[in-house]
Amino acid sequence: MVQEPRETAVVRGGEFPIRKRSDVVVASSQAGRLARSFGIGPRRAKELAIVVSELASNIVKHGVRGAIVLTLDARRGEVAIEARDVGPPIHDFEVAMTDGCDDRGPIDPALLLRRGGLGTGLGAVARLADRVEYREQEGGKTITAWFVLNAGEGLRVRDQMGGDCP
Amino acid sequence: MAQSGESHVKVTSERLQSVIEALSYASVDEFDSCLELLQRSTEKDEFSELETAFSIFVRELGEAKSELNRTLAKQEAINRELEGKLETIEMQQAAIRELSTPIIEVWAGVLCLPVVGVVDSQRSAEMTETLLETIVAKQARMAIVDITGIDVMDTKTADHFIKMARAVRLLGAECIVSGINPGIAQTLTHIGVDLTGVRTLRSLRDALQLYLKETEQLVVQQHSAVARSRVPEV
Repeated sequence: MVQEPRETAVVRGGEFPIRKRSDVVVASSQAGRLARSFGIGPRRAKELAIVVSELASNIVKHGVRGAIVLTLDARRGEVAIEARDVGPPIHDFEVAMTDGCDDRGPIDPALLLRRGGLGTGLGAVARLADRVEYREQEGGKTITAWFVLNAGEGLRVRDQMGGDCP
Repeated sequence: MAQSGESHVKVTSERLQSVIEALSYASVDEFDSCLELLQRSTEKDEFSELETAFSIFVRELGEAKSELNRTLAKQEAINRELEGKLETIEMQQAAIRELSTPIIEVWAGVLCLPVVGVVDSQRSAEMTETLLETIVAKQARMAIVDITGIDVMDTKTADHFIKMARAVRLLGAECIVSGINPGIAQTLTHIGVDLTGVRTLRSLRDALQLYLKETEQLVVQQHSAVARSRVPEV
């Protein structure tokens, strides 16, 4: 007689507009807090905050303006971090994910400090998140990173939504 | 019907009932239903004057009430906006706290860089630049990077962090990293970072104590050197 609770699939989260450097910090710390409220453990929540920080600072550096959208899919058991911006597309996403590279190849070490970054941001995203996807759309691009919830994580939200806890 | 100065008005109980009902509508702010009831009777007698007066009163009350509601709604919107702004200010303050990595000169020639919040690759790069520049500008002999507040870092960022410590040494200053917690320790050993040339201590306090002890020894050595040089004169 267990009714299929449609609400469990409902996604909750937050959206953070990114334009300036301070928006990066706001998005990152708020995302970390949201992750904790989803029931994610402290260490994973901090890793998630780092990923948000890397993606958001990329928006400020290369994407002109955009937003970070955090959504929890309790049924699938994962949190998605979507980073959308209106900047130019990434030439080669696989290369861009390689440490010390931009989207076209290795960065000249002499230029490394002057460009205000290490070229390891997307590498960190790939290491810390469980899955990363790159997509281009009309007038912009989206990078999505997923964090798969471990057993026991995200339960608090399911409780609140009246869902079926194991 | 009128007798010796007393005049009586004949009212059907139905009209009286609608006035009572109208009154009860008015008491719960149902002004439209109230007015409708009052205007139902078409008779023109003394009682209808009461009904008319009542209608006017109710209409005015209704207008005053909706004006009040409009003002309240406006006020509420303003309040909401204010709350939103306060929230923004709070978030920005948090952002400023985390963004700014202050470099404090805790002692003559000793710089301290307390790191809190989230350290990503860009922040790590920015910190390196600022620290190295400040060391040169202040002619510092020691830099203490305290990372007590950090327990998670990406491996590549942690690697860069240690490189920063080594760069400090190249500038002729000593770099102490204090407050490394188990999580970061595991990250560092996991990636096999070479820690030679980087001194690590448990806390900021230990780092300061070490500095003081070393300077004391230096002072004592200088004193005894001065004392020795004076001996032949005596």
